[in-house]
Amino acid sequence: MLVIKDLHAKVGDRKVLDGLNLEVPAGEVHAIMGPNGSGKSTLAYTLAGRPGYEVTAGSVSYQGRDLLALAPEERAQAGLFLGFQYPVEIPGVNNVYLLKAALNAARKHRGEAEVDAFEFLTLVREKMKVMQMDEAFLSRGVNEGFSGGEKKRNEILQMLVLEPSLALLDETDSGLDIDALKVVANGVNTLRSPTRAIVLVTHYQRLLDYIQPDRVHVLARGRIIRSGGPELARELEARGYDWVLNEAA
Amino acid sequence: MSAMPIVLPSNRDENWRYANLRGLARARFEPAPAPEATQLGDIAGRLPAALPGYARLVLVDGHHVAALSTALPDVNITHDVDAQEKSGADQRFANLNRRFRQGTCRIAVPAQAALALEVLCVATASSHPALDITLGDGAKLQLIERQLSARGDDSTLVNLHLAARVGEHAQFELARIGHHGAKAQALDTLELQLDVGASMKLVQVIEGALASRSTAFVEHVGREASLEWYVAALGEGTQHHDAFVHVTHAAPGARTLQCFRGIATGRSRVAFNGHMRVEAAALGTQTDQSLKCLLAGAEAEADVRPQLEIYTDAVKASHGATVGKLDADMLFYLLSRSIPPATAESLLKWAFVSDVLAKLPSPELRSQVAAALERQLPGAATRAWS
Repeated sequence: MLVIKDLHAKVGDRKVLDGLNLEVPAGEVHAIMGPNGSGKSTLAYTLAGRPGYEVTAGSVSYQGRDLLALAPEERAQAGLFLGFQYPVEIPGVNNVYLLKAALNAARKHRGEAEVDAFEFLTLVREKMKVMQMDEAFLSRGVNEGFSGGEKKRNEILQMLVLEPSLALLDETDSGLDIDALKVVANGVNTLRSPTRAIVLVTHYQRLLDYIQPDRVHVLARGRIIRSGGPELARELEARGYDWVLNEAA
Repeated sequence: MSAMPIVLPSNRDENWRYANLRGLARARFEPAPAPEATQLGDIAGRLPAALPGYARLVLVDGHHVAALSTALPDVNITHDVDAQEKSGADQRFANLNRRFRQGTCRIAVPAQAALALEVLCVATASSHPALDITLGDGAKLQLIERQLSARGDDSTLVNLHLAARVGEHAQFELARIGHHGAKAQALDTLELQLDVGASMKLVQVIEGALASRSTAFVEHVGREASLEWYVAALGEGTQHHDAFVHVTHAAPGARTLQCFRGIATGRSRVAFNGHMRVEAAALGTQTDQSLKCLLAGAEAEADVRPQLEIYTDAVKASHGATVGKLDADMLFYLLSRSIPPATAESLLKWAFVSDVLAKLPSPELRSQVAAALERQLPGAATRAWS
C-alpha cells in the first residue's frame, strides 16, 4: 500500500525528515510514536502534499504510484486521507456541502456517478450514528465553533464517508476525553479492512488500547529508529523514549 | 431641464479618492425617453422571477412602468423634476439625478403599517431613478432594490438617488442588488435619517458593472436608533467598485454596525471608506466597523478605510480593517478533501462574503443572487448553501 524509501524533507530551511523508511501493507494498522519535534506531523503533511513541506530526496510509492508526483487533491482523490491534528474552521462553508463535494470529487476520479441527495444523506446519517454526532452539525460551518473533541469526531466522520484506502491520522486522540476517545477509536476500527491501511500518529499508548496496531514505529530525529509489535507501545509508555534514543544513538 | 454644465467630482476630492471616474468624462447623462409599449415585452422577459410576498414596482430608465408593476395604493409616483440641488462634491451625482430624474417614486408607509416591496430599476441607456421613502412611526418596510441592465452591449449608466426618513420605532430593511452589464457605470446616492428608536438594516451586493460608486449619508437624528450596514463587493477583470458611507451620530444611545467584505480578483479594485462622526450630543453611541478585503489577483487592489471622528467621551467604538489573501490552511484542508483547486478557491471566496450574503432577506432572493454569482464563484455559490 505505502512504501517510503529514504525520505528527506524540510520545512523552510529546517531539515525534518532525514532518511525515513517505512512500509505499510494493505490491511494493517501502523502506529508512529515519538517525542515532540521528531517529525511525526511533518511526515503526515509531507505525504498529504501540504505546500511548504519540501521533499529533497527519497521516494514514496502509494498503491504502486509515485505519490510525490501528485497534487494534494489528486492524492486525496486517489484514496489518501489526512486526519488533521488541528482541523481548520471554515465559516460560511457548511459541513454537508464539504462532505458531498469531497465524496463526489473522489467518485468522479474513480469514474463513478455522483451520489444523489437521498443516497448521500442516508450514507451520512449512518456514519454520524457511528460517530454519535447530532445531525445539526451538518448545517454548521466546517468545524465552526466545534469543541476540540467535536472537530476530531468530524475528521473521522469525513473519513468514514470518504472510505479512503490509506488514512493518516495525526494525533487524532489529542484533546479527547475518554468517552470521545472510545467513539473516535470505534470509528477508526469500522474502517479496518484487508484492502485499507491506517497510520496513526500518536504520543500516547492509550489510543492503542482501543485501536490495536499491527506494528509500532518510533520516529526520532527524522527517521524510524525502532519498530516492533504492540508491545513496543506499552514499553514506551512504561519507560519513555530515552532508552530507545540511547540505543539508536 | 437645466442647461447648467455638468460638474463631476474628481479623485482630488477626499471622499472620491478610490472612485473610478475616468469613464464618466465622456458619458451621456441625458436620460432615455420613456419606453415604448413594444419594448415592454422584451424588458419583462429580462426581469428576475417574482419574490413571494413582495409587491413589485418597475422603473425603466427612471420612468415608472405601471404595466410591469403591482398596483400599490401606498405608492405615489410624482414628477417633481425641479428638486433642489445641493452643494458639495459628494452631492454632484445626486444633483445630476435631481436634474435629470424623470419623476420621483414616493413610497409612504403609514404609521404601524407594513409593506414588502421590490423595486426594479431597469436601464436601457442613461437612467436616473429616484426613490423617496417615508416610514411613519412604527411602520415596517422591507424593500429590495435591484438594478438591471437591459441593453445588448450593456453600456448603461444608472445614477440612482434614494432618500428615506425612518420614523420613530419604524423598521426599514433595504436589500440592494446590482445586476449590471459588463460595461455599465453604476452610481448611487443614499440619504437616510433615522428617528427615535428607528432601525435600519441594509444589505448590499455589488458585482457586475465596469465601475460602480455608492455614496451614502446616514444620520441618527433620534436617540437609540440602530443601523446595520452590510456590503459585499466582488470585483473581477478590470472592474472598479467603490463605496463611501458617512454616518453621523447626532443623538444619544444610537448604534451603528458596518460590515464590508470585498474580493478583488484579476486586475480589479474594490474600496470601502466608512466614515463615522459622533457629535458631542451623541452620548452612549456604539459603533463597530469590520472591513475586510481579499486580494485574489496579482494585480488586484483593495482599499479599506475606517474613519472615526468623535466629539464626546462616552462612546464605545471599535473598528478593524484587513486586506489579505486566501487562507493557505483552509485551502489545503479543502484540497486534502479531494476538492479541486478552482472549486476550493471559489468556496473560500464564497465563505468570505457569506457574512453579508446570509443577511439577504428572502431565500428566493438568496438563490437568485447565488445564481448570479455562480459565474464568478464557479462550483460554490449555488451549492454552498444546499
